[in-house]
Amino acid sequence: MKKINAKNVNVSYGSKQALFDINIDIEQNEVTALIGPSGCGKSTFLRCLNRMNDVIDICKVTGEIFINDFNILDKKCDVVRLREKIGMVFQKPNPFPKTIYENIAYGPTIHGMTQSKEEMDEVVELSLKKAALWNEVKDRLHEVGTGLSGGQQQRLCIARAISVSPEVILMDEPCSALDPIATAQIEELIDELKNEHTIIIVTHSMAQAARVSQNTGFFHLGNLIEFGSTDKIFKNPENQKTQDYITGRFG
Amino acid sequence: MNRKEIFLKKRYNSEKRFKLYGKLAISFALIFLCIFLYKIFSTGFSAFQKTLIKVDVTYNSELLFLDENPSLDDIKNADYYDLALETMANLDLNADEDQQNELKRMVSYIFDTEIKNHLLKNPDLLGKTSSVLLTASDDLDQIFKGNYPRDIPEDLRRVSDYQLTVYDKLIKDEKIISKFNFSFFTRADSREAELAGIASAVVGSFFTILVCLFISFPVAVLAAIYLEEFAPKNKITDFIEVNINNLAAVPSIVFGLLGLGILLAVFHLPRSTSLVGGITLSLMTLPTIIIAARASLKAVPPSIREAALAMGASRMQTTMHHTVPLSMPGTLSGTIIGLAQALGETAPLILIGMVAFINTIPMSPMDPSASLPVQVYLWAESAERGFVEKVSACIMVLLGFLILMNLLAQIVRHKFETKWS
Repeated sequence: MKKINAKNVNVSYGSKQALFDINIDIEQNEVTALIGPSGCGKSTFLRCLNRMNDVIDICKVTGEIFINDFNILDKKCDVVRLREKIGMVFQKPNPFPKTIYENIAYGPTIHGMTQSKEEMDEVVELSLKKAALWNEVKDRLHEVGTGLSGGQQQRLCIARAISVSPEVILMDEPCSALDPIATAQIEELIDELKNEHTIIIVTHSMAQAARVSQNTGFFHLGNLIEFGSTDKIFKNPENQKTQDYITGRFG
Repeated sequence: MNRKEIFLKKRYNSEKRFKLYGKLAISFALIFLCIFLYKIFSTGFSAFQKTLIKVDVTYNSELLFLDENPSLDDIKNADYYDLALETMANLDLNADEDQQNELKRMVSYIFDTEIKNHLLKNPDLLGKTSSVLLTASDDLDQIFKGNYPRDIPEDLRRVSDYQLTVYDKLIKDEKIISKFNFSFFTRADSREAELAGIASAVVGSFFTILVCLFISFPVAVLAAIYLEEFAPKNKITDFIEVNINNLAAVPSIVFGLLGLGILLAVFHLPRSTSLVGGITLSLMTLPTIIIAARASLKAVPPSIREAALAMGASRMQTTMHHTVPLSMPGTLSGTIIGLAQALGETAPLILIGMVAFINTIPMSPMDPSASLPVQVYLWAESAERGFVEKVSACIMVLLGFLILMNLLAQIVRHKFETKWS
């Protein structure tokens, strides 16, 4: 089932065009990886999906992106509601410099999702358990989140993102600042999370894309060169550029 | 030696020379600071000591024109001047009228009040004799502290030969004592150096800074938040930014003229009050706080804003829940530094009339008041020898407040600021 459907998406920063006519269909409850060399526009595309590009004054996005058949690029779309449905995890772990509990509770609080302290405790516990962090931090929920290790911080950020039960989670190179062990933990987690959420991950590591994703899109110079099942992209790509990138001839 | 070695040696030498220049520059600055501090402390230190003359007062009811068994109110309302004159005349029983006058001038003009207060504290002394401490006149005070030469011809001195003989006799009888000068901190300004204090200036400065804080802080923080977080980046905001920086460079006396021309002339606010002083100074503090607040808002990593926005926080929530609290330590320390600058500012306050002679302690920002830097200026202008030490003492107090405030700014910054890895 299609979750996200992008049609002719063009993005430009001032006079420089970053994305050209992107058309892509993203499946529900699967992991979609976006790969490509630096500056190819994969992160830019990811940030279109929760309209994070709005923050940049000079950034202009045209085209249509349907999520649940609703065009999120439409002026009528409320970004606050949109971002409640579409969570995001960033390249560098960015927990708030507050306690672990407050980090998780922030989303549910601003969206008014819980009625009582008990309910909030439950949400915090559930989110941390889903992010496989509960056992490590259950005794120090009221210590600052920035005191955790890098991998734990990133899982905290994932727990924060899933605390509002988003339908889609966007991950922008979530493992690039982590060591291999922490990376393995996050990858395992992504596999778990796809049962409840649709995940789109931007990654520099082709091995990671091959490990975690069901579908892969290859971006190059602002164009989506090839999109298909991960198996096909890695074993039998149609496009010569994809072939070259996969085999490490450039990028 | 080959060329390479000569080259290497040259490089090392130039580095050594450079270090030496640096050390010289620092010692130069330190020496000046030391001279400055030594001068102030050595001159001002004696102002914290007060010279008193111990005299025996016989609380004679007849001289006070009191009936038998007077009530406390009667004692309070009695006229002590005759008694006080009599007391001073008793220092030398052979003195003629002129000499009695000179005796009277050896103590401050509030000697009758001091005698009265002593009785009010112990009402049962009526009819008895008790020794009372009277504030010595500033000339005697200066002679006692050794600030005033006595081996010059009499007509060049402010203390007569006769007064000096009495003074020497009092010294011999151990009737002249020195105590910590509490009244320097509790009394307002006075024309008499021995009575002048900084209470009015301290309270006035406090009110001024308070008014300045209440006006400049909210305005500056709101302006900084708007410019940094919400305003579009275009020509108009660029123009505003340039002008805020210009405002910080405007000489303070110009702000004084502004206060004079607008606050006093147009709005008719009361002259020489802390209110007007505070408003004028807040114009000066405004750009300092705006610049500090913007810098600390900028120092909050964009990743925090992104994190909050991605959680579905609105721009307002992102700013109020995350960016502003995280920027507060920097903003506050900038504010304290701005206020410390305002505390030391003199020129604008002179223009709005705070240079007036105020001998009462202000009770509210609407009362006429002095301020510490202007008090320094006023006393420095004074010809009397007794004010010289007061100037330095007042500077010491002012420097003390400034050091305290700067220390506080440092503590706020280092203790509460979030460290970003």
